[in-house]
Amino acid sequence: MKIFKWLDLGLKRTEEAVLSLAIITITVMVSGNTISRNLGLGGWAFAEEISQIAIYMATFLGLGYVARQGRHISMTALFDNVSYKYRKALALIIPLVTAFVLFALAYYSYDYVLASQNRVTNYLRISYVWMVVWAPIGFLLGGIQFLRNFWVNVRNKDVYIAAERKDYDTEQEAKESNQL
Amino acid sequence: ACGGGSDESGGGGNGEETYEWTFVTEENEGQVQYEYAQEFADRMDEKTDGQVTIEPVEFGGLGSEVDQVEQLQQGAVEMAVVSPGFTGTMVEEGQVFSLQFLLPNDQEDVQQVLNESEALNDTLAARYEEEDIMPLSFWSEGAMQWTGNKAIESPDDFNGFQMRTQNSPLLQQTYREYGADPQVMSAGELYTSLDNGTVDGQENPLFFIEASSYDEVQSHLMISNQNSYVAMTTVNPQFYNELPDDLKETFDETVTEMQDWVYDEQVEQNEQARETMTSESDIEQVELSEEQRAEFREVTMPMRDYYVEEVGGDAEEILTTLEGEIEEITGESAE
Amino acid sequence: MLFTLLAIMVIFLALGFPMMVPLILAPLVIVLFFFDAVDPFIMLQQMLEGISSYVLLAVPMFIFAADIMSQGHTSKRLLDFIGAFVGHLRGGYAITTAAACTIFGSISGSTQATVVAIGGPMRQRLLKVGYKDSTAIAFIINASDVALLIPPSIGMIMYSLISGTSLGDMFIAGIGPGLLVFIFFTLYAYIHAKIYSILLAAKIPWKERGKMTFDAVFPLLFPVIIIGGIYSGLFTPTEAAAMAVVYAFILEVIVYRTVKLKQMFSIALSSGLVTSAVFMLVAGGQVFAWVIQFARIPQMITDTFLGGDPGPIYVLIIVSIFFFIGCMFVDPIVVILILTPIFYPAAIQAGVDPVHLGVVITFQAALGSATPPFGVDIFTASAVFNRSYLDTIRGTPPFIVMMLVIAVLLIAFEPISTFLLPDN
Ligand code: NA
Ligand code: NA
Repeated sequence: MKIFKWLDLGLKRTEEAVLSLAIITITVMVSGNTISRNLGLGGWAFAEEISQIAIYMATFLGLGYVARQGRHISMTALFDNVSYKYRKALALIIPLVTAFVLFALAYYSYDYVLASQNRVTNYLRISYVWMVVWAPIGFLLGGIQFLRNFWVNVRNKDVYIAAERKDYDTEQEAKESNQL
Repeated sequence: ACGGGSDESGGGGNGEETYEWTFVTEENEGQVQYEYAQEFADRMDEKTDGQVTIEPVEFGGLGSEVDQVEQLQQGAVEMAVVSPGFTGTMVEEGQVFSLQFLLPNDQEDVQQVLNESEALNDTLAARYEEEDIMPLSFWSEGAMQWTGNKAIESPDDFNGFQMRTQNSPLLQQTYREYGADPQVMSAGELYTSLDNGTVDGQENPLFFIEASSYDEVQSHLMISNQNSYVAMTTVNPQFYNELPDDLKETFDETVTEMQDWVYDEQVEQNEQARETMTSESDIEQVELSEEQRAEFREVTMPMRDYYVEEVGGDAEEILTTLEGEIEEITGESAE
Repeated sequence: MLFTLLAIMVIFLALGFPMMVPLILAPLVIVLFFFDAVDPFIMLQQMLEGISSYVLLAVPMFIFAADIMSQGHTSKRLLDFIGAFVGHLRGGYAITTAAACTIFGSISGSTQATVVAIGGPMRQRLLKVGYKDSTAIAFIINASDVALLIPPSIGMIMYSLISGTSLGDMFIAGIGPGLLVFIFFTLYAYIHAKIYSILLAAKIPWKERGKMTFDAVFPLLFPVIIIGGIYSGLFTPTEAAAMAVVYAFILEVIVYRTVKLKQMFSIALSSGLVTSAVFMLVAGGQVFAWVIQFARIPQMITDTFLGGDPGPIYVLIIVSIFFFIGCMFVDPIVVILILTPIFYPAAIQAGVDPVHLGVVITFQAALGSATPPFGVDIFTASAVFNRSYLDTIRGTPPFIVMMLVIAVLLIAFEPISTFLLPDN
């Protein structure tokens, strides 16, 4: 079991690095292009394309990390206002179904990657696969993460929003969150 | 009543099979490509007595230009007007249309080249067909003109000039040859950027400049004719090959007659736009002389080698053949 | 088909699924079961299309800049400065928030970027002086959306491009409704502050105001750099967002030394997390928009509603309803792209002024994007402020009422938009 812990930690660190570096890369590309152009050194023609790869990576490879933290946006009106029994049921159904939707998307996205093989990127003229391959990988990792969110609810009596985020830990927190 | 294919029980044509096709374009209502699609649809409807309904789609409804082409390749839509400029990442040979001062200066000659060229209609078309895009005809939407926040009369005027171009390496290299600084920018950002001076100029056919109100935010319009905006009428190959013979014949006939129609349409739209800008806009019009154009043309000549070397494949064959064909039509050397 | 689409949306949404699930699953089901000719891989094509706009890159950039500033001193100094001048006025903070969001939104071209860039720091101060979080967020979301009416509005640029209407006229015609909205918001801020007895700060003496202004000199250069940079042609709005990050970095890491270089990675991580959550919804919204357009649902509906020979007011009401509903689900720019070509011909035929039509459409787009259950800016606010969805929308009803009143006025009295135009 220890190996899974290590794998999980490795994955988490990778996701963190991707998200963080993607944002920093976009900053460097867009501001570098601006500064270079205004100094009369010419624009960076590659800036837009590299930023685009970075935003694709952040969006899709971030799926799992967002799920891990329970930060996907949802409308929780019903969830927050039903009894424990129903809430627990929802906490099991939602991540399980979401996982399967993401696995389906991983499958169809992979087809799109295959269909993109003959296309090249605009500036670097590298295979378009490097632009889009992050989507199936991200959906797959996201799906696995939602399966974990499901599993943690199977294993524990408490309700978990995500593997790493319990639903209102204390009575006090639940109260505070309603005082708005 | 959606995108695909045919429908056994339709209302038209005496119990015959009816067809509903989608025709995507890269422009909006009133502009050349959309009007082309609409006219095509009307003619097919009339000729087949309502058996064929074609629905033209404006730009943006089904995604970007590249998205539309992919939907054509995959068969989700049946027909598309495609400009090769947007498909340079799929069929790199198509970038031949980004070479400035290659096509003739006169629009009538351009149309003749596009109608008759074997380099385009056979060799280049075959390359597209390999990618499941079947071009049936090539036509011009008019000559491309520069607009700027100053007059551009010689390549020197391009020094340090921030030029907005489409996202094509060949076009960007062309403007670097002139001494300009090419900037890639989406159409959505362009108006404001021209207004603020973030970029200094852009190029487009007259009708598009007028429709996009660029004349409101630019001081000079150069009648520069550095290129023609070429579009292709394309179909999904499988869809086309599976058409019943009589229908295919009607279809081909319509494609052919539309060549003259779209020529007249673009000439009228561009003339109209020029008149409107003359009477209602403050933009100053600068007509470049043959000598001035020759100076620009000289600078762009190395781009032809660049095209052959960077693209490879059939590029050399296409360019050499096309140069010969142009020479035959204009009687002047294309070199 | 329409029923399937709506049923999936409503059921998955109500059960509390992550919003990206109904947005993506509903179109996927339609493609799988209704369109044999369409390969489902189109789903990914459209998701990528949704997030590939260069303008949209301003969103992660402003999130990042705001995160750096709130980690360090910049936000606090800026807010102290504003407080010194408006803290003693009734509703002063709320009005300042609304004004800042509107001005910023109009130049950035992205309502989402505005929620992040201005909303973030202003919200902290609104909470501090006693506003409920829901009210603070409602002010931020609505004021950011109204920015769609103020030049150089990207919504108006798209409308003008599609319809061929003069963009200059559109910009002028946006002024009237823009002012009207601002008057309503100001009145509401005043009355709200009175009813809820929002604490008034003591009036700060000029000497202290001077000191606070001095402390805020570098932070105050922020708006100067961003707005000045855009209008002087140094940057596009997207570039201004990236330059905001650079400036925040210089201030906090080099000048004030409140943030260590190493911390930049964890700040970027938190910005990346929010970016991923928001961009998945933008991606899903695009797929949803695509399937609706591919199925020609808008055309089916307009054929039903705009047959016969309708009058201009009736047409404007129908147009308003469709844009309002559309923008509740999808990004306003996408809605303008899809619906304008469908409604424009019918409206012009009924005698509606094209400029007035554009203003009504832009206004409805603004209203729709701030309206639950969807509304991109609600998502963004929910993700950025890390508040549950319900907390985010709780304060919006008064704004929706105000905006609906203005919508009715706008439809009934065309001069509200056209009175400044040269021909009128
Ligand atoms: Na705006
Ligand atoms: Na919306």
